[in-house]
Amino acid sequence: MAIIDIKNLSFSYPAQESKAIDNISLSIEKGEFILICGETGCGKSTLIRQLKPQIAPYGARHGEIYYNNIPLKALDDKKNASEIGYVMQNPDNQIVTDKVWHELAFGLENLAIKTPVIRRRVAEMASFFGIEGWFRKDVQDLSGGQKQLLNLASIMVMNPKVLILDEPTSQLDPIAATDFINTLYKINKELALTIILVEHRLEEVYPIADKVLVLDKGRKLIYDTPEKVGESLRSAKNHNIIYGFPTPIRIYNECNTKDKCPLTIREGSIWLSNNFKSNINKINSYKKPDNSNIVLELKDVWFRYGRELPDVLRGVSLQAYKGEIFSILGGNGSGKTTTLNVISGISSPYRGKVLLHGKKISDYKKKELYHNNIAVLPQNPQTLFVKNKVEKEFDEIIKVMKLNNDAANKKINNIAERLYIKHLFQKHPYDLSGGEQQKVALAKILLLNPKIILFDEPTKGLDGYSKKVLGEIMKELKKSHVTIIMVSHDIEFSAEYSDRCALFFDGNIVSEDDPISFFSGNSFYTTAANRMSRHIFKNAITSKDVIHLCQQS
Amino acid sequence: MIRISALESYHPIVLFVFFASCILFTMFFMHPVYLAISLISSTLLLGKLVGLRKLFKTLLYILPIFILIAISNPIFSHKGVTPLFYINYNPITLESILYGIAMATMIVSIMLWFRCYNLVMTSDKFICLFGNIIPTLALIISITLRLIPKLKDQIKQISNSQRTLGMYIDTGSILERIRSGIRILSILITWALENGIDTADSMKARGYGLKGRTTFSIFKFDKRDGIILGIILLLVSINILGEVYGYSSFYYYPYVKNMDFSVMTITFNLSYFLLLIFPTIIEIKEDLKWRSLISKI
Repeated sequence: MAIIDIKNLSFSYPAQESKAIDNISLSIEKGEFILICGETGCGKSTLIRQLKPQIAPYGARHGEIYYNNIPLKALDDKKNASEIGYVMQNPDNQIVTDKVWHELAFGLENLAIKTPVIRRRVAEMASFFGIEGWFRKDVQDLSGGQKQLLNLASIMVMNPKVLILDEPTSQLDPIAATDFINTLYKINKELALTIILVEHRLEEVYPIADKVLVLDKGRKLIYDTPEKVGESLRSAKNHNIIYGFPTPIRIYNECNTKDKCPLTIREGSIWLSNNFKSNINKINSYKKPDNSNIVLELKDVWFRYGRELPDVLRGVSLQAYKGEIFSILGGNGSGKTTTLNVISGISSPYRGKVLLHGKKISDYKKKELYHNNIAVLPQNPQTLFVKNKVEKEFDEIIKVMKLNNDAANKKINNIAERLYIKHLFQKHPYDLSGGEQQKVALAKILLLNPKIILFDEPTKGLDGYSKKVLGEIMKELKKSHVTIIMVSHDIEFSAEYSDRCALFFDGNIVSEDDPISFFSGNSFYTTAANRMSRHIFKNAITSKDVIHLCQQS
Repeated sequence: MIRISALESYHPIVLFVFFASCILFTMFFMHPVYLAISLISSTLLLGKLVGLRKLFKTLLYILPIFILIAISNPIFSHKGVTPLFYINYNPITLESILYGIAMATMIVSIMLWFRCYNLVMTSDKFICLFGNIIPTLALIISITLRLIPKLKDQIKQISNSQRTLGMYIDTGSILERIRSGIRILSILITWALENGIDTADSMKARGYGLKGRTTFSIFKFDKRDGIILGIILLLVSINILGEVYGYSSFYYYPYVKNMDFSVMTITFNLSYFLLLIFPTIIEIKEDLKWRSLISKI
């Protein structure tokens, strides 16, 4: 019996011609793990919000949704609140109260449950999720991963039958994201809970899903098992959605083999051995970047946040050259973002030097430093937006940069064309998707005419295609001799687009090299493509490399 | 290191009743003996809660306040019948000096009591207290307490981003600084409103607004709390009785009231001392218990 049955559902937002959801029918069995994927703006969130009438967007809806054979509209509010759980993207925004225990109890309080019962259920959930250790803490003291786990637990405590999650791991670092996905898997297997998950980062979830729904412009493209989806995507070649898929599927997609689609690294590696016995097993190395022109240099930089606090940076030394993309990789709390703050002059080190074009950064005046020189794209681009229209955002920078009208318009047009944001000019910055917001923010800082741009976790929350677009933009910038320094968790992205990578660990850079030597030298901290192919190819690190070598053999 | 005090383990109601009566009594009883008792017991309790080193630190910045109040009263008030000397033809009277000292003692004691209160009554205890009486208010407080650190963090992020745009100035003329402050505030408000929608959705999705919302609290009122609350209430009523019969009232003007040391007065004084020293006794008792437990191990 289907627990959720969607019949010919269409939905369109007010004052918009195109349908956000276009005639979708699907049925979800009890206990299934459903993965929904698709490009940003394909209607994923709109679709799953329809399953939760309390938070469904306003607009014209046609078709019917059945929950346990009852029309969803007829389900009473109390039942809906407890039986259909909904976890959102941003871990911070969903938390309502100030204490962990109170957050866990919040939903149950709303359902008018008595204190002794709440006490038992909260205790049960806290033990199941391993929350006891921080049960009495303030929520502000939790890490992002813990916050999202708390959000999940405070839904689970209400005993839902269906769990809906909207990109729950997009704001988490890879380790916390993997933990979260594993917890979902555990819930699905041990409690037989039906899970509907919308996700961009598919590497871990894809193999464990029972069925995958691929949406395209509000339409159902494919709805099948992961293997079948992988195979049928091969026939729909060159679709943008493929950029977000796990590496093995992407590689399989480009090669003409006649077997089943590999889903995990293990299957992918077996699949490679079965199909390819290669003589050519090596990618020609990158040409060494031109390192004659040092634009930025850190010399033995030590930093701590307070006199009594431990050191965050312990003698960091690094150099960045003109017109290169330099990635700093590393785990949470290793000091990557602090390094970025030191480079941008927000934090000043207590020992060591930061040299910008050979001159100490503290000797620059504010205007000298941030105009025509160094610029930062923060993790959260929203912190850059001041106005209610994208267009106006640019005007204020024009004023500061003292450009005349003609030059300004030319410059804005030029940048807008390079970033493909012309069509966003009349919108409110907050109405844009994550990727679009980032592009607008980038356009804003490009108007400052920077020679060095610092990116803090630029790929956070972006789907596969937006990442590709961002990477291409970075390459473009590089051509105009801009130096890019980025701090990231995203190994795959750094491998594909950087000229040099550095591993940050325990307040220092422990290794630094061009991406091919860097990643093929690591055994664990390396890309999926490299882990999958290292037994037959010597130094293939991106899926592009592997595809290239496969096609040659 | 965070010391877990024995007091913290009591139910919020017990703690609230104790501190409320302490602070109110200290405010109303201007009798020198009562004030001395309040000062001594608040100092002892704070010392017990934070340790000697931190106590001295607190006393160090409280001392100037004490002196300031004690001195300023005789300078500005010239009431009283016993002039000691004259400054600018204004009499400095014995009464106003004594009253100044009494006032200073009272204010300093209240400050010390509030320090103790803050250490013991954490926000969740306060919320639990009002959760049953005014549930909506309790929830609002909880949401606010969640929001404050979040906004603080966001302000920091915004000002960092704006600084790297060259748009935030923390040095320069006051007008410029105000202007960039307003800018940050405007960004913050937009951000808060946008992200507040998520929080509202999260509340709605979890059934907020359904009928008959209950209030959960992790604090349990057990027998131990009942006994302690009983003792405190008994002592409080004895002291109210003392006030009714005038044993704790006192006056400084126009001349200082004579102290009397009758058995009844001393009994009431003792009951006041017992009430105020009660938490300190609980703390010490707990310490001794632990010491004997450790020695048995």
